[in-house]
Amino acid sequence: MVALGPGPQGSSQDGVGAAARIGIGGPVGCGKTALIERLIPLLQARGVDFAVVTNDLVTKEDAERLRRSGLIDPARVAAVEAGACPHTVIREDPTLNIAAGDELEARFPGLELILFESGGDNLASTFSLDLVDWWVFVIDVAGGGDIPRKRGPGVIRSDLLVVNKVDLAHHVGVDLEAMLGEARGVRAGRPVLATNARTGEGVDALVEAIVHAVLFTR
Amino acid sequence: MRHLLLAFQHADSAFPSGSFAFSNGVEGVAAAGARLDPAGLGLLLDQILRHRWASFDRIALARAHRAAPDLGALAALDAEIEAASLCAPLRDGSRRNAAALLAAHLRIGTPGAEDLRAAMRAGSLRGHLAVVQGFLWRALGLDEPAALAMSAYGAAMGAVTAAVRLGAIGAIAAQPVLAEALRRAADLAEAPVPAAARLAAFLPFVEIAAARNEAADLRLFAS
Repeated sequence: MVALGPGPQGSSQDGVGAAARIGIGGPVGCGKTALIERLIPLLQARGVDFAVVTNDLVTKEDAERLRRSGLIDPARVAAVEAGACPHTVIREDPTLNIAAGDELEARFPGLELILFESGGDNLASTFSLDLVDWWVFVIDVAGGGDIPRKRGPGVIRSDLLVVNKVDLAHHVGVDLEAMLGEARGVRAGRPVLATNARTGEGVDALVEAIVHAVLFTR
Repeated sequence: MRHLLLAFQHADSAFPSGSFAFSNGVEGVAAAGARLDPAGLGLLLDQILRHRWASFDRIALARAHRAAPDLGALAALDAEIEAASLCAPLRDGSRRNAAALLAAHLRIGTPGAEDLRAAMRAGSLRGHLAVVQGFLWRALGLDEPAALAMSAYGAAMGAVTAAVRLGAIGAIAAQPVLAEALRRAADLAEAPVPAAARLAAFLPFVEIAAARNEAADLRLFAS
């Protein structure tokens, strides 16, 4: 049940490159790993055959967190340790990630989707289309209501912007509706989604967006 | 000129090869407390070039370049590299770096890259960096001297870049050190590589430091 083929790498003779590949990026602490933990059971409930590649910068924490979560077969979580260059490994030189994705596809024939979680970066972070078909940029309310106004490439160019931790808005003095409105305003019509990874609010819509964008047969 | 520019393209750190993620022991050396000021970094580069690059990587690359595209001969050389690489993080790093380099060439469509991957997938060779470089660079039409120059540049530049990224030395202060290292590499490359040349590396301090650093909680490099 291959969804999007060929992937960004183009399919090859042995089928590598057939799974859809999506990126999930954003600043440190915005909730990327927590969102993936919420995505996993929802993707499983839909019967999507998927795997995750984490890009830990200086530790193995994100990969270990997912492996130990009990949510996913640990063998389906690959860690790419790329040193303190989170943007390099998803943009200028994504070959370590590409190789990790190829390896997962070889190990799990029939894989439909690979999620690449970037290491925490800044608002200039973007994914190379050599690596992914479609990518999400995550920011969070606690990072400041003015983030959309700063118009970083991640905020503007991502296929989907997720504003996470919406439950914290009133605690940190952020006008959530104004923040979401500004986010929509700088993105030229590209979608914006509000989530709370702690409760799962908005994560169904995130799954729906992924399925709509890259899993055409679902 | 065309040949030279092709070599520049594939030796450039902007070529997507995954190499940026590997310090090849430099981070471990820094973590062990060694000073990587111009004198310290110069000494480290001298050791790396003389006791690993010239006697191991250079030999392996020259033999791989000559053997390519004979996958059977390359598999035997690859097994020799595996057996002679005692330090696990450096051994694993060589294979991971090679897999990343091959991933780029598969997408570019370098002749033979699919066959090399098929052999690696089948388990007939693990795919160490020198073997993969020798195979791919020959397939691109780069001759042995060019391939050796590219390898020497990668070894020296990689170590210097790692030291800069670790904050041990400034990028400008490192340039005279790199220039001297490249002069030394050029001299070392003058020695012929006999057909039966054996692989021999002896960098105990760097290898022990790399092995110790593998268990570190915080690292900037994969090895």
